[in-house]
Amino acid sequence: MKVGLLATLSVRNLLRHRRRNAMLVAAIVVAVAGVTFMNSFIRGFQQDLRDSAVANLTGHIKVHAPGYRDDPSIERSFEVATSWQPDIDAQALQGWAARVRVPAVIMSERETRGVQLVGIDPAQEGISFLGDVEFEGEQLSGVGDKRVFLGAALRDQLDTRVGRRLVLITQGSDGRNREAGFRIAGVYDAEGTALEKAYVFTGREALQNLLDTHAVTEVSIRLLQDPAGPSIQRRLLSYFTGLEVLGWRELEPQVAAMFVFADTAIFIWFSIMMGALVFGLVNSLITAVMERVREFGMLRAVGMRPGAVIVQVVMESTVLMAAGVAIGLGIGWLLCASLADGLDLSQWASGVEMVGMRSLVVPRLYGEDMLLVAVLSLVLGVVASLYPAWRAVKINPLEAMRR
Amino acid sequence: MSNEVVSVRGVSRVYAEEAVPVHALRDVDLTVVQGEFVSLAGPSGSGKSTLLNVIGGLDRPTGGDVFIDGVLLNDLNDTQLADLRLHKIGFVFQAYNLIPVLSAQENVEFIMQLQGVGAAERARRAREVLQALGLEDMSDRRPGEMSGGQQQRVAVARAIVTEPALLLADEPSANLDSRTTGELLELLKTLNEERGVTIVAATHDPLVMSYAKRRIQLRDGQIENDSGPA
Repeated sequence: MKVGLLATLSVRNLLRHRRRNAMLVAAIVVAVAGVTFMNSFIRGFQQDLRDSAVANLTGHIKVHAPGYRDDPSIERSFEVATSWQPDIDAQALQGWAARVRVPAVIMSERETRGVQLVGIDPAQEGISFLGDVEFEGEQLSGVGDKRVFLGAALRDQLDTRVGRRLVLITQGSDGRNREAGFRIAGVYDAEGTALEKAYVFTGREALQNLLDTHAVTEVSIRLLQDPAGPSIQRRLLSYFTGLEVLGWRELEPQVAAMFVFADTAIFIWFSIMMGALVFGLVNSLITAVMERVREFGMLRAVGMRPGAVIVQVVMESTVLMAAGVAIGLGIGWLLCASLADGLDLSQWASGVEMVGMRSLVVPRLYGEDMLLVAVLSLVLGVVASLYPAWRAVKINPLEAMRR
Repeated sequence: MSNEVVSVRGVSRVYAEEAVPVHALRDVDLTVVQGEFVSLAGPSGSGKSTLLNVIGGLDRPTGGDVFIDGVLLNDLNDTQLADLRLHKIGFVFQAYNLIPVLSAQENVEFIMQLQGVGAAERARRAREVLQALGLEDMSDRRPGEMSGGQQQRVAVARAIVTEPALLLADEPSANLDSRTTGELLELLKTLNEERGVTIVAATHDPLVMSYAKRRIQLRDGQIENDSGPA
């Protein structure tokens, strides 16, 4: 088959109807640019969901005592040697934190609330949302700091302020209640009020002393690359025998489901946009074939094989699609680049927070997504041309040349 | 026997899809040998174009056998027929049927490209033929930029450049004035006499008939008169 000859014929035939084909290419450009931008937005949403979940004290991997997730009490804890370091390549590890997290009741002079009381090492918490939040007052000085810091929303609910004292009641390792007063060192301002209402932090050793234990309830590990997770998870499991070593997908199943849904949403969006476009492409190609019935008849008469006729029509469709895809991807990339600082959704902050997102979504354009759009579009271009190509092959040379 | 280019034996063609079946050809026998210039004449509906199309493998007979250069067409599928037309038959159509997006030179090279002839050889042969037909100044022009006569000459150049066993012309003068028709016929005559190209032309035009060495008259799908080989 003479591909060069067919390519020449295809390109020149497309140039014969510049305006019509330019309109068609413009439609492809709009669809591809729209799909590319929307994909990057969905990817941004998807990554933000995961990052928010991971940063929300979860990490990519977490070690728990069995049953802790159902009954998060100090009885379901474990000890970690002070010299322990995770056996993870420094290039894959962002950081880790050992915490004591127990349910507690917090009381101010005016209000009482249920919270999660978390004993932390402030130096390790760069891996969680605490690394990014704004503080009023002071941060904890270390694991032995007996003060607390709480979220701005909880402070408002408790009607208190930095420097005031709060009383916390929780259950100790012996099953008896512990009650202690804590001074407020600082107030954090997180992205969502849910976080601010849920967590109250104090020094890890200070909380262990209160609970009369040396154990922790969780070790959270944050990685630099998520795909490295499962192999590291297996290694940790062999070290922490008898404990649960879970990835973020198991710890946050709703987020994991949303993460998968985002992949599906990309395909749905692509299918809708490009599916609508295919009908226009088919229509345009049929018109092009019907306008050239005599020409196709002559080509068949002088000896062009049916397969070559099919290739010529497919090539015309592919050239149109390739031009539209190339320009569309370029415009999509430019759109994403122009929004590299993120899309501010703060005016819909409450709705955005409900689905676990931050109010600033940064579009993320991945090479593999662009490649997927390009390949699928070209495949659709070929599929769209098959019916017009079949019509071209079915042209009877005699009838065509009598026209 | 060995120099028979066309052999038609007991060929009939019935168009049964019409309300009343139309017998376009009825039991036609015809042999054309290498180097003949044959005209097929007759009134409209006499079957001359149908016979030309059957010979050219563009239409399949309802009955009988058609041989081109010794190859029986009846058993060939569409692709094999396309290959036979590509390699053995040159066509000159009433409406020229050049490819509008290609220049004269590219149109002449087109069939050689389909045959797989190399670029340099194609260009050389196309230039030679265009020069022989007085079209060397037209080589870069597209069909829309040429007169009807010039287009028909390019169509002839395209048909003969591959040196086919048979040149079939369907009403080659229908869209030409008498002066251009005369030039075209002189060209066909030269090709026939000097290059030995076998030509079969379906025509209404007495001028075309006058150039043919052998004149066949058809009526009602049958050969009414055959002047016989020259």
